[in-house]
Amino acid sequence: MSHESPSGKPDKKHIGGELIIPVAGVVFAIYYFSTIIDSPFEAQVSAFFVGTILMALVAVFILKSAISVIRGEADLSMEILLSARSFLPKRLALFALTVAFIIVVEWGGFTLTTFAFLALAMLLLSNGRNLKFVLILAASLAIGGYLLFIVAFHTRFPFGPFEHLMNRVL
Amino acid sequence: MEFNPALFIDLFAHTFTYWWVIIPAIFLGLVVGAIPGFSAANTIIILLPLTLAMDPEMGLVFMVALYASSRMGAGIPAILVNIPGTAGAAATPLDGYPMTRAGRGHQALSISFVSSTAGGLLTTIIALLAMPWLSQVAYYLHSVEMIVVMLFGISLIASIAAKDTLKGLIAGFFGLMIGSIGADVIYATPRGTMGFLELYDGVPLIPALVGLFAVSEAFIVIEQRSIMSEEGQKLMEEAGWAETWEGVKIAGSKWWHITWTSIIGLIIGVVPGAGAGIAAFVAYQQSRTFSKTPEKYGTGHVEGLVAPESANNGVTSGTLVPLLVIGIPGGATAAIMLVVLQYHGVTIGPDLFLTAPNLAYGPFAAMAVTYAMLIPLIMPLARYMSKVTVISTTYMTPLIISFTLVGAFVSRSYVFDMYLALAFGLIGYIARKTGYHVAAILIGVILGPMLENYFLRAMRMSQNDIMVLFSSNLGNVLWVALVLSLVFPYVLEYRRKQKRALEARGETPVRGK
Repeated sequence: MSHESPSGKPDKKHIGGELIIPVAGVVFAIYYFSTIIDSPFEAQVSAFFVGTILMALVAVFILKSAISVIRGEADLSMEILLSARSFLPKRLALFALTVAFIIVVEWGGFTLTTFAFLALAMLLLSNGRNLKFVLILAASLAIGGYLLFIVAFHTRFPFGPFEHLMNRVL
Repeated sequence: MEFNPALFIDLFAHTFTYWWVIIPAIFLGLVVGAIPGFSAANTIIILLPLTLAMDPEMGLVFMVALYASSRMGAGIPAILVNIPGTAGAAATPLDGYPMTRAGRGHQALSISFVSSTAGGLLTTIIALLAMPWLSQVAYYLHSVEMIVVMLFGISLIASIAAKDTLKGLIAGFFGLMIGSIGADVIYATPRGTMGFLELYDGVPLIPALVGLFAVSEAFIVIEQRSIMSEEGQKLMEEAGWAETWEGVKIAGSKWWHITWTSIIGLIIGVVPGAGAGIAAFVAYQQSRTFSKTPEKYGTGHVEGLVAPESANNGVTSGTLVPLLVIGIPGGATAAIMLVVLQYHGVTIGPDLFLTAPNLAYGPFAAMAVTYAMLIPLIMPLARYMSKVTVISTTYMTPLIISFTLVGAFVSRSYVFDMYLALAFGLIGYIARKTGYHVAAILIGVILGPMLENYFLRAMRMSQNDIMVLFSSNLGNVLWVALVLSLVFPYVLEYRRKQKRALEARGETPVRGK
């Protein structure tokens, strides 16, 4: 993750992103400890054991990172996470669509919501090209999923207007 | 339970007459195994009206065929798109997916099919012949011994961490912390649940699996047109039957590897509750430990694919042993089989082998026949299945996200589980982008709660005496084996380095030195 600059000097490593998982781990471990503080010893020992090792590992990692930063070999930028910047807007839009999918599928049902999500996400990723193909593909996949999972396997997929209507028709 | 060749020949011939039940069950099992959130157990529950209506022998054949093929099905998406169908296939993508990315997806599938079939068939035969002895394994492996077995699985984190030890260990212990979420088994105190009632039973595995592998991968692959490199795509387009056959030959050359890793699966499968997830991780870890080329693991190494696939199929026959001999199911699917048999008035236990040998030995015969039928049925499909990897990520990504998220919903019908999968997706995305291994996190999530349960039990029984961990002979033998398996790779590596250094200086290494 370090590159060489045109001057021949190696670029700094961008280690800001690498600290997210360790910091998240420590924050979670502290929160976890707070929930077991009143528990009997038996219920605490395993978590304290695992959590303490995690914290020790993270302390070593942070120390190593701090030494790299002080020596000027690394900086705390989040460049690793934001690499391939041109895809960032698409990625964020896809994430928003995914959240919307989860919110809507509860009452919109599997088939309609999946169709809408597939069509919108495919159009987003293809920059709006092949509209007809995308719509046909999204519809086929959503209906295929409905037939396979709900009709054939009787799976407990989220039900919505389409599934209720089909239940009455079939 | 004496060995009677005539009975077995008759039994196998009789089981083959159920081909019309086995073939549809195989295809159904392959489909449900390949979809995250579905499992053989869920499918058998859904199809209970059908199996209860069949006579007990036919019902058993159907359930066993579905169970065995679903295990193989779970490896297909793990290899092709980095999404394990079940936790049992969670170690499969470690080397299966890099093979696909290199354009060797069809070959990886052939290797997986042969390893699964050979491992499954071999352990079925061993289980059939050694049933009286194997059934005793569960009696010897108590909480203390199981703690060591779990540690064998968890030590895979150290293997994964070999490339970047500190990051690998942080990922693994972060996973173990996440795996500790939920109410503890003795006092039922909620821990780390953030107030979510849905987490009181612990972190459900399917959302973790879906998020860490599928969702995170989907958000990363959108940077490329295809999951494969250009060279890989070329290879895939040019691939023919010869490459599929090559995969069969490669797997065949690893027969010894298949044998011992599937036996690991069989032994772990016999222990109720241990499951295919831990067997696959233990087998992978042991395979890497004793390999001459451990550095190749994780880069698309054949043995790294053979080990988990053989082991998780070895578990399949192992789970049936305690069910049939002592009436204790070794897993969820075996438990449902027990329910079906009891519905038909069949009493499980040693007497069954005398009163109804067809029923007692039948499941193993059905499993062997299923594995024998699997290869000719599935092998021709490997080439076509692998074509899924050439589909553009423009269409593949939304499909993976929507279908796997709904898969996360299926097991408990909680919308919460879809949000949980998305949260794991975010963790997985950050982990992948910043060089942490998602498999290390998953190992922690899978094995963490199991380890804690056995640990709590051991502490409870010993009244908090930590020395209980070294109180049994078998446990101590396992401890020594664990330490040796951790130290062994470093000793080997040291010797290799010494040998290379001597060769570099133009000296011939002396034997024994």
